[in-house]
Amino acid sequence: MKPVYVAGAAVHPFGKQPGLNAAELGYRAVRQLVEQTGITPDAVDVGYGGSSYGGSLLTQRVLQRVGVSGPPVYTVENACASGASAVHLGWQAVASGAADCVIAFGAENLSSFGGGTLPLTTNDIEIEQGMVMPAAYAMRAQRYLHDFGATADDLTAVSVKNRRNGAQNPRAHFQREISPQDVADSRAIADPLRLLHCCPNSDGAAAVLLCSEDFARQLDTPRVRVRGSVVRSGTFHTQFRDMTWPDITARTAKAAYEMAGLAPADLDLVELHDAFSIAELLHAEALGIAERGKAHQAVRNGEFDRDGRVAVSPSGGLISRGHPVGATGATQICEAYWQLTGQAGPLQVPGASVALTHVTGGGIFGVDNGACAMHILTAD
Amino acid sequence: MPSPQSPPAGDRQVGADITHQHGTRTTLTITVCHACSARWFPPREVCSTCASDDVENIESEPQGVVYASTVVRVAPPGFQAPFVLAYIDISGVRVLAHSPSSDQALTPDTPVRLTVAPIARTAEGQLVSYAVEPLDGRDDTTTPTTGETR
Ligand SMILES: [Zn+2]
Repeated sequence: MKPVYVAGAAVHPFGKQPGLNAAELGYRAVRQLVEQTGITPDAVDVGYGGSSYGGSLLTQRVLQRVGVSGPPVYTVENACASGASAVHLGWQAVASGAADCVIAFGAENLSSFGGGTLPLTTNDIEIEQGMVMPAAYAMRAQRYLHDFGATADDLTAVSVKNRRNGAQNPRAHFQREISPQDVADSRAIADPLRLLHCCPNSDGAAAVLLCSEDFARQLDTPRVRVRGSVVRSGTFHTQFRDMTWPDITARTAKAAYEMAGLAPADLDLVELHDAFSIAELLHAEALGIAERGKAHQAVRNGEFDRDGRVAVSPSGGLISRGHPVGATGATQICEAYWQLTGQAGPLQVPGASVALTHVTGGGIFGVDNGACAMHILTAD
Repeated sequence: MPSPQSPPAGDRQVGADITHQHGTRTTLTITVCHACSARWFPPREVCSTCASDDVENIESEPQGVVYASTVVRVAPPGFQAPFVLAYIDISGVRVLAHSPSSDQALTPDTPVRLTVAPIARTAEGQLVSYAVEPLDGRDDTTTPTTGETR
């Protein structure tokens, strides 16, 4: 496999933007990327766009506006992992030698669904019972608290940390710190989860430039190396499963660490899928950055703070940044790029040289999640 | 003339074809794969673990045990909050069901029995489904299935 680099990153800030559809949001991110990297449209060998609700031929509708029309482009749907799946396919294209320059982006508008929980549109035996994503995570939370002696205050500590991080991120949906009391006062969603334990539904887009070593040399932008890029699907069964151990994340991480030749202890920062505060605890353990049943203690001890043992969601995570489903995985890679190139400003993790990004999602019955995508990036 | 198990006109029953009522005893259809021993709910024609069609449908036990539970306080379309959902371990499968008689989340490991009950109101009547209710623990003759995930 050829070495693959990220040589540019751009985010259209996340938030409520009901007037901007996914194609418009995607265009705004990709236009920034093109301007910043100085690439010409004819240099782009292939394009991938990730979105769950953006509609048919989203990638054409975005890329043709910046002059990329003619080469192969694909729109990728993998629920919350759509954007990172687009990046993974771009990585494949460069790693195989088939492409030298790839634009990969994620774009989503969720305002069009109105308020409340995101509708699960794939009817199945659990959705017929009124299942919603907060309920799925609420039950994982109840069982985690039951099994490991954690409390709802431990879930709150995750939200408080990530909102504190996101308060300094100009791209985040929420840029205000919250107190534990704010969480306790927020509306109950699905016991034990309250509103401020949940990420907001957002609109936004993010784009990255993936390229070969030769191509990266021709650019004036800093680059980071993609050491691992892995996508996995959920293991489908309806027997008993341990819902405090996201097997899909553990399997994806194992493959990513092997590919990168790195271990959890090497990571300086992690952007993980904290769609709900409980998810940070579950995924931190499955990623190997906390001992089993002890992630809540790591949060309490400040080990996941920006200046802690390993910074977890220094950009604010989904809880602050918001969650425009298909854009989330791509924006995590942008945030990691800025960290590893020393461009993260107030978000900067001191001395960051190894980053891991993780998204997982998809509310279908019989799996932990439908899809999980992971990237390990290092400073060049 | 409708059988005793048919819901009144206007009501709709979820999973009617895989729910069995024998007096007060309610069971579900599950599929057992003879090739790999995987168990499935809802039932299926081909095992989704090993792709064998050497599968058999059996009836579950009438009782199970709670793996996890929550009170949903923001309802999806078609449902009315609050309502209690629980994952139930029963006869080797995990089933998501309402616990309509509960007003708080069921504690993990609580024994429950299967029932058939309304789980939502619709424009035409009620949405009826297989559901669960906590056992009071006095008149049980069957030992509930124990979850084996941990
Ligand atoms: Zn089988």
